Amino acid sequence: MAKSKTDPENMLPLTPAVFHVLLALAGGERHGYAIMQEVAASTDGQIKMGPGTLYGTVKRLLEAQLIEESDERPDPHLDDDRRRYYRLTGVGEEVVRAEARRYAEIVELARGKKLIRKLA
Amino acid sequence: MTRNFNNQTLAVSQTVYGWLLRAYPPAHRAEYGPAMAQLFRDQCRDAWSEAQGWGMVKLWLRVLPDLVNTSIAERLSTLNQRKSMSDKMSALFRPLTSPLVVFFTVFTIVFLSVLMVSVAVTFILPESYASTCRIKVEQEAILRADTSAYDPYFLQTTFEIIQSQLVLNPVIDKLNLNVQWGKKYFNGETLKSAESLEILKGRMSLADVRGTKLIAITVYSDDKKEAAQIANAIAEAYRDYRVKAAAALATVMINRLQQESLNNEQRIEQVRTEANSLRQQLKIGSEISDNPSPQEQTYWDKKQYLDGLLETHKTLYAKIEAEKLDAQFPKTSPMQITDLAEPGRFPVKPNKPLNIFIGAVAGGFLGLVAGATSALISVKLGNRGRKAVASA
Repeated sequence: MAKSKTDPENMLPLTPAVFHVLLALAGGERHGYAIMQEVAASTDGQIKMGPGTLYGTVKRLLEAQLIEESDERPDPHLDDDRRRYYRLTGVGEEVVRAEARRYAEIVELARGKKLIRKLA
Repeated sequence: MTRNFNNQTLAVSQTVYGWLLRAYPPAHRAEYGPAMAQLFRDQCRDAWSEAQGWGMVKLWLRVLPDLVNTSIAERLSTLNQRKSMSDKMSALFRPLTSPLVVFFTVFTIVFLSVLMVSVAVTFILPESYASTCRIKVEQEAILRADTSAYDPYFLQTTFEIIQSQLVLNPVIDKLNLNVQWGKKYFNGETLKSAESLEILKGRMSLADVRGTKLIAITVYSDDKKEAAQIANAIAEAYRDYRVKAAAALATVMINRLQQESLNNEQRIEQVRTEANSLRQQLKIGSEISDNPSPQEQTYWDKKQYLDGLLETHKTLYAKIEAEKLDAQFPKTSPMQITDLAEPGRFPVKPNKPLNIFIGAVAGGFLGLVAGATSALISVKLGNRGRKAVASA
């Protein structure tokens, strides 16, 4: 059966930058700097996104309606109100889940071929 | 002062980045430019607090390729969004009417970008000051007028000794460099002497002043006072080493002379006993007779030999006393500090004019290559586009 155009599977595989940004937003809405920090922390500093890559990715994700801009502020006193916050849309959440499943399947495949061991 | 410098460094970086954002298409810049500039500001703050100037250099080395790649991608993306072929052609040729304009535009952008980055990096790099102390060294053999012991490798040996633990460990202890450098560069962790020694060796240079017995000890540091203090401390530590070495040598000499004197005394005693015995046996007076018998001649020979030994004894005694006196009050110092190091007035590194000159030359070269390539591409695309429009 042909997949529909809005099927999240159609958008896979994601580029590493897109996947990491979506993963960062899966933990809640964040502004650009917080996304960058989250990505750096979750990859042990191996991926440090520059402003160009981050906002290029954000632009494409907004166009694909995988994320949306949020008007809410966690606490206006604690933050610069010029910062722009982003959050996952429903489709975005489905896509990041689908990509995570895809990675999990790949990991299982690698385990089946004894390339990696199960975590204790 | 440091705070102003930090602010100035960050402000220069942010200004340069704000200017470089022009590489993106106007629509992208209008939408995301302020957010990108803000993110860069946050990254600058993190980089500076992490490793000051070096952190900023690493940030720029990461941000510049990111900026080039993503700005080209955004430009191409904007170009692909044009609806018709004619839009694309006009978008390609409208702003850049001739290859010459393409060349000069690309050349100017590349040249200014490289120049500005070189200026920014030059002003971000930590400054280093140099202080030089000059010393005059003499060979021990020359001081003792023993020219046969002249050492042709004296200067090289001296260089190695100045850089050895014998001289530098006292400097590290005197200036408490294990603690000071630990606080300054390793988050307060006290260094081992071997670690400080390596750092110190890396920061000093030695050079002989041509045609003289002078050696210049130069020390580099980001603190001008520290550079001068270390250079002077090295000179003083080397002087102490030479004084101790000279004293040790004098002690060896004195011991050797004293041993020789003792042997001489024993020989004198033996010869004197033999001579006295002969004199009593042969009943010889104080004056030599005109025709001494062979036995009498033996006595007079011994007497002469004894006189020689006594003379040698006197000479040895005088030498020992002279050595003792010289050890206490040396006639000439084996090493003199001729010029004390003073804190430098201006930093010697980075060499700002040179760095900016290299940036300008590199920018000019890259600008020429990029400009010529772009002009060539625009000519080829123009020809292809005109053919396509004509065939349509």
